Amino acid sequence: MEALTDHLSALGHGLVTTVELTVVTTVGAMLLGIVVATLRIAPVPLLRAIGTVYVEVFQNLPLLALLVLFVFALPTIGITFPLFTSAVIVIAVYEGAYLAEAIRAGINTVGVGQAEAARAIGLTFGQSLRHVILPQGLRAVIQPIGNICIALLMNTSLAAAVGVVELTQAANNVNLVEAQPIAVFTGAGLAYMLLALIIGQVTGLLERRLAIVR
Amino acid sequence: MSILKMSFTRRRSLALTATAVAVALAAAGCGGDSDSSAPTLPGNPGLGGDGVVAQSVYDAAPVATDADIPAGSTMEAIRKRGYLTIGGSLDAPLLAQQNPVSGTIEGFDADMAKLLAKYIIGKPEVKTTTIGTQTREAMLQAKSVDAVFQTYTITPQRATQVAFAGPYLTSGLAVGVRKDDTSIKSVKDLAGKTVIVGANTPAVTALPSAAPGSKQIAFGTDPQALQALLQKRGDAYVQDFTLLASGAKANPGMKVVGEPFTTEAYGIGLNREDTQFKEFVNNWLKKIQADGTWAKVWEATLGSVVEGGAPTPPVIGSADGS
Repeated sequence: MEALTDHLSALGHGLVTTVELTVVTTVGAMLLGIVVATLRIAPVPLLRAIGTVYVEVFQNLPLLALLVLFVFALPTIGITFPLFTSAVIVIAVYEGAYLAEAIRAGINTVGVGQAEAARAIGLTFGQSLRHVILPQGLRAVIQPIGNICIALLMNTSLAAAVGVVELTQAANNVNLVEAQPIAVFTGAGLAYMLLALIIGQVTGLLERRLAIVR
Repeated sequence: MSILKMSFTRRRSLALTATAVAVALAAAGCGGDSDSSAPTLPGNPGLGGDGVVAQSVYDAAPVATDADIPAGSTMEAIRKRGYLTIGGSLDAPLLAQQNPVSGTIEGFDADMAKLLAKYIIGKPEVKTTTIGTQTREAMLQAKSVDAVFQTYTITPQRATQVAFAGPYLTSGLAVGVRKDDTSIKSVKDLAGKTVIVGANTPAVTALPSAAPGSKQIAFGTDPQALQALLQKRGDAYVQDFTLLASGAKANPGMKVVGEPFTTEAYGIGLNREDTQFKEFVNNWLKKIQADGTWAKVWEATLGSVVEGGAPTPPVIGSADGS
């Protein structure tokens, strides 16, 4: 236990970084997910193709490989981002592909009649999406989106590999001194579990408030 | 036509397989180190002609007598099994790096492990499990491996969790900078600079006292840290002198400045309860130091980038915690 209590400040900083990384990345991934899901159902074939390519590329590449490429390959062509920013961009882009698919599944649950009615009253594609289809589609997939957010939280630990001192890296550093991996990583694991439970609770709450009962 | 009537046929199985691979890789990377949970490698296929250390060194290396290996001991179990299991690395040049062509693991740590295997079994049969620095103590406590050969620095805290035979090698932290940098001449010049370190290396804890006011960024592997230095993410790279020297040899863009500013004593990590095995390994170390085998291995590996001949091997039991 002392291995943990002696280093609460280091572990606390790591925890804060993990939370920051998760929140900023979730917002970014959600926005990207909505845009890509919209592309995938757009009436223009080129836009649909762009959406499909995005999802296929980022769902089918390992996140760690993307992180390492972004951090170490981009500087060779003269583009260097700070490490935290790099982690946010890469994880958001990666998770955005998964969120896009969840959101598209939600859109598919919206009845065809809804879209037809929206068109019948003269709404454009953008308007019917914004006022009719997305609000209903998103509310149908709150639970899957919550699950992806939990996976996103766990994936932030990969940022440790590219120099971001988040919770996993902080635990590594503490263990380096204390040499008690079981105590240290049990503590870090419990912190991740707690964060995941919070996301789960928020998801459950939103689900109860917003889900459409059909 | 409705926007919702698009056809969404997709080749799901391909995507699923790739996602599964991605998830597996992501899980493997959770320790922050890409090689930390790599699968156990098959045993070294003997010692081919392209090993760094000449075959003759192995042929001449000592083998324990039956009297040294009492019934019921760890050594006897290893001899019966026919190979030694160790925890180590595959990506540390000159210490333990896997040759992509032959598959053998070459370097000082790897060769020491092979020599210990020869001492116990009579042939240098080693099975290496690549482990992260974060799991060494747990692996030894669970007896998942017989020993850890991984530039494992002996510290009193670690000695409360594991037993250290040795030290079998001493080195120290040094400073690497980009070749065109003339502002940093030793560790004293690092105050206020951004310093790259290897995650889970002694530099993480040694740097704040050696260079107060320096900012640290840590990378999972030595090649990543080197790359980060060359890409100017930091002003200097603090790492063990031997690793820096091999890095400087491979990368003309960097150089090592000043002398090592710490003394690291590396030990062979063993299960803490097994005092008999520790004594046995210490006796073997004394033997290979005395007969010159140690010096030959050093010259063939680390000695290839360090000027001067082999140093005097460390005195067994001299480090606090060994």
